[in-house]
Amino acid sequence: MIDPTLVLQALVSGILAAGLYALVSVGLALAIGVIGIVNFAHGEFFMVGAFLAYQAFVSFGIDPVFSLFLVAPALGLIGAGIYASTIRFVLKAPELNQMLLTFGIGIILQNLALLIWGGDPRTIAGIAYRSIGYQIGPVSVGLVPLASFAISLTLVLGLYWMLASTPTGRAMRAVAQNRVGAALVGLEVDRVYLVAFALSALLAGIGGVMIAVIQSPTPTIGLAFTLKAFAIVVVSGLGNVRGVLFASLVVAIAESMVATLVPNGDTLRNAVFFAIIFGVLVWRSRRVA
Amino acid sequence: MNRAAAPARAARRRAVPWDVVGLGLLVVAAAFMPDLLRALYDRAAVSYLSIAINALSLAILALSWDVLARTGQLSLAHAAFYGTGAYTTALMLRHLDLPMWLGIPAGGLMAVAFALLLGGLTLRLRAIYFAIATLAFAEVLKAVVHHAPTAFAGGNAGMNVAPLFRPVFVAGQMERWEVAYLRNEAYFYVYAGLLALSVLISIALQRSRLRHAFTAIRTNEDVAGVMGVRPARVKLLAFMLSASTVGMLGAVEAHRVGSVLPDQSFSVATTVLALVTPIFGGLYTTLGPIVGALGLSSVQELLRRTFSDGYLIGYGVVLVLTILFMPRGVVGTIGHAWRKRGSRSTGTPPASRPQRAGPAPDDAPPKPPSQPGGDA
Repeated sequence: MIDPTLVLQALVSGILAAGLYALVSVGLALAIGVIGIVNFAHGEFFMVGAFLAYQAFVSFGIDPVFSLFLVAPALGLIGAGIYASTIRFVLKAPELNQMLLTFGIGIILQNLALLIWGGDPRTIAGIAYRSIGYQIGPVSVGLVPLASFAISLTLVLGLYWMLASTPTGRAMRAVAQNRVGAALVGLEVDRVYLVAFALSALLAGIGGVMIAVIQSPTPTIGLAFTLKAFAIVVVSGLGNVRGVLFASLVVAIAESMVATLVPNGDTLRNAVFFAIIFGVLVWRSRRVA
Repeated sequence: MNRAAAPARAARRRAVPWDVVGLGLLVVAAAFMPDLLRALYDRAAVSYLSIAINALSLAILALSWDVLARTGQLSLAHAAFYGTGAYTTALMLRHLDLPMWLGIPAGGLMAVAFALLLGGLTLRLRAIYFAIATLAFAEVLKAVVHHAPTAFAGGNAGMNVAPLFRPVFVAGQMERWEVAYLRNEAYFYVYAGLLALSVLISIALQRSRLRHAFTAIRTNEDVAGVMGVRPARVKLLAFMLSASTVGMLGAVEAHRVGSVLPDQSFSVATTVLALVTPIFGGLYTTLGPIVGALGLSSVQELLRRTFSDGYLIGYGVVLVLTILFMPRGVVGTIGHAWRKRGSRSTGTPPASRPQRAGPAPDDAPPKPPSQPGGDA
């Protein structure tokens, strides 16, 4: 018999994790939806964010809460730099080239991190708030996951608001709908793409800072998070930014349930994502065919 | 090799079957290579043979990836097939009492079976979805191997695999290093044989009508369907052929390395190598992946010795630079320049370009509309 408290706990952990997943995936969805680039390097932005936060802590003693404000613009710049130096040149190239290019960028970022920080997990040690937790009824909730959920949700909702009602957001939606038309009415398409890609990297970087506090990341988490983000984006529909929040909930709760309820399920965590990607893709292809 | 000129020209050229001649030369060269190295370098031939084996291995991997790429599919599952082959032979060795050699064809067959399963489910997907699905499949397989009972597949610690060759040291008649030489020599022939098989598959495909089916699917799948090609079937065939050689390679390599480990046998690095090499050398040809393997394996030696972690960065750089500056690859770029020169000297316009050798971008980068304004 399964313990109902355990199920409730798994549900709460799943919901809290969904915030971070949504934050990372929404950036990927933005890149796909607006620019039409399937970015295999997206998880690496997340990883770079985590390690910049770690380095800021080790070198200068900057608390992750504050380095958030340094890492985010740094990732925005990195994203903009990568777009301007590589991605803008393959926008009209075959899809295969685009995917391979971003895959190559991902390999470079990951191995650069391996060269700098090595393959061992890195922990930001000695932060007092890390161990704070609350007991609500039968469920215990850590302060850090709760805060990361709140920050992520705010940012994702902020992005939705930006897309819906600011000039930049409207420009992005216009370009996403019809690139030529948007250019004809006077939008600088290339600049919109640049902003969208930088924003996508920035959001992933903020997620990275949070994971550096929640877990002890290694330079190889990037790939896992690329796949997780793909799973969520695929569930919500490629390029659909709005569905990401709901898809993240589904995927994160499924992961949390399997990890808690299946015996020895923690090692199967990642398999859940891949199974979801797989299932949804195959189901979609059958429906279309 | 693979000159897709106008049909008339191709017919005239058919007199000299360069691909078959090339394969013959390859076989002859391979047959004499170990002895030649030994005669030239004495005991240093042992390490030169190892390097040659690595190059052969990379060529097999690259050629296999290219066969599928010809249908326009980006596979990120080559690590899965490689690992399948490695684990098949390791498991057979551990649980079944069969001749060791059987593990190699069995590894290939198992990989083909997985390709059939994976391809049957996913080859109807659009390219992007297919790439994501294959990557996911490879990671699932890795997770499953990690998770499998330790008594069955070794879990995290992996399994030991016996070497295929155990040359015996005979005191007085040979020197110590000759044992290593004999072992490497034997492996060298196995790898060379496997490469010859891969080349044979590739040539057979290039010479058959399937080549046009591949090109049609790559160019436009819907139109190919209208023309009477069955995209799903053709792609599945390419996928299975592609998996077969990688599976065997994985099995042979498991014996040579002496162990299988989940993270090593299913490493993303395998997939990366499989795709970077043909792109660098030149896609959709038999020669391209081989040239790419020769070029990259020498770089690889250097990089692997310099950095233990993170040596793949070199491949990332090669991949990005190739896509940006030389999207046809080495062979494609040279071939293109050659054809251009040839057509200029005869004064005729360039004969129908071979179905966009290498995914060439529309050369110029997209220009941003120059109008000012637009408050983005």
